[in-house]
Amino acid sequence: ATFLCKVYYGGNLTIRLTLGGCANRPFYRIVAAHSKFARDGRFVEQLGCYDPLPNSHGEKIVGLNLERIRYWIGCGAHLSKPVERLLGLAGFFPLHPMMITNAERLRRKRAREALLASQKTDTEATETEAS
Amino acid sequence: MIMAAFRTRASWRHLTCSRGAERFFFCARTRPSTLLQPLPGPCGAGSPCRRLASEAAACGNSEIQKRTFMDEEVQSILIKMTGLNLQKIFKPALQKLKPPTYKLMTQAQLEEATRQAVEAAKVQLKMPPVLEERAPINDVLAEDKILEGTVTAKYVFTDISYNIPHRERFIVVREPSGTLRKASWEERDRMIQIYFPKEGRRILTPIIFKEENVKTMYSQDRHADVLNLCIAQFEPDSAEYIKIHHQTYEDIDKHGKYDLLRSTRHFGGMAWYFINEKKIDGLLIDQIQRDLVDDATSLVQLYHMVHPEGQSAQEAKEQAAEGLNLIKVFAKTEAQMGAYIELILQTYQDAFINHSAAS
Repeated sequence: ATFLCKVYYGGNLTIRLTLGGCANRPFYRIVAAHSKFARDGRFVEQLGCYDPLPNSHGEKIVGLNLERIRYWIGCGAHLSKPVERLLGLAGFFPLHPMMITNAERLRRKRAREALLASQKTDTEATETEAS
Repeated sequence: MIMAAFRTRASWRHLTCSRGAERFFFCARTRPSTLLQPLPGPCGAGSPCRRLASEAAACGNSEIQKRTFMDEEVQSILIKMTGLNLQKIFKPALQKLKPPTYKLMTQAQLEEATRQAVEAAKVQLKMPPVLEERAPINDVLAEDKILEGTVTAKYVFTDISYNIPHRERFIVVREPSGTLRKASWEERDRMIQIYFPKEGRRILTPIIFKEENVKTMYSQDRHADVLNLCIAQFEPDSAEYIKIHHQTYEDIDKHGKYDLLRSTRHFGGMAWYFINEKKIDGLLIDQIQRDLVDDATSLVQLYHMVHPEGQSAQEAKEQAAEGLNLIKVFAKTEAQMGAYIELILQTYQDAFINHSAAS
């Protein structure tokens, strides 16, 4: 059990992404908030930011206040899946299993498509030879 | 054998020099420390014999210690050479226009105000550090081949915790190929500027540091401005900082515009660069022509301190040259324009004699 003062019943402290920015220009802030509050509503503390669009050098910039993230996780905060994914990419957490699963699925799909494409070219080549 | 030779030479010096405060000052200047490390404490006047013994004991073990920019003696000489031209330091910079204030002061108050101005000037003349070029970072933290097709652009993760020094911050990059590596120095500087912006620094390199624009600045004699902008923009041990500084110093040397940097905080760095490159001739000539013979002698001394195994250093030590003789020794042995320096020294001496004879 955590020692935080819960305003809502059944909620918990969560570290998640809050959407901001303008039309066709998202910008996420990594924030510690009660899970029952609105997505962009009241939060306890901002712990970082994430810019999903790459900049002029081709990088997506993520800032993480690791000291405070460690503190809130120590207080028993939950994490949302995108945050776990980002922390896994950063190396702070181990890689998320869903990320590995998705990567495997993508690889298999690409392999299947490549196989289909090569089979189609083979059949076309045999048809042109036969005719 | 080396220890014995040093002992005899040093003791001869003690016999020849005069009493009192001059003794320790003389020791401080003429301890060229060819084979010694610089002493930890300040040179006191007490018990030179003990110092001799410790030096003699140390010189057998230690190797030739290379002089760095931050040594106390080096710094004191460079500060003395920089000069303190109050008019130039507190030159009116572009500010908001306000009417001048006039104050009525007694002589004592004026002296007090001048003293405070001198203190402020010394703060402004604090030399920026001269460091070696930093080694590029090539650390790979993890290689995950599994993630190869999933990530499209690179992710740069910065640790924004407040009380970590910028050098120790964790900034890592996850490439689309799945490798997790530490960020290079340029990426580090950029990220730190984004999250902890410093005044005067831009995220993308300003175009003033391109070749053509820099040359325009040089032609307008604005070397000090170029160097100030460079200090604001780059870290002291980055490649661009060192390159721009070297370029500026070369340009000054080519045109002989040493006076531009004379009372600024860049003078020490310039003198240090010339000494390391062994190109102090132009600077010496400029100093003698402006009647700054003390600065010229201290420059040659510094040169001997930094290159103690050179020919001029050995000869100067043998002759125990002082003042103008020191410059003459240097001009004879290691200078490129030795004849020119001797000529100028001659003219200076004649002018000095005429002036003292006339007055």
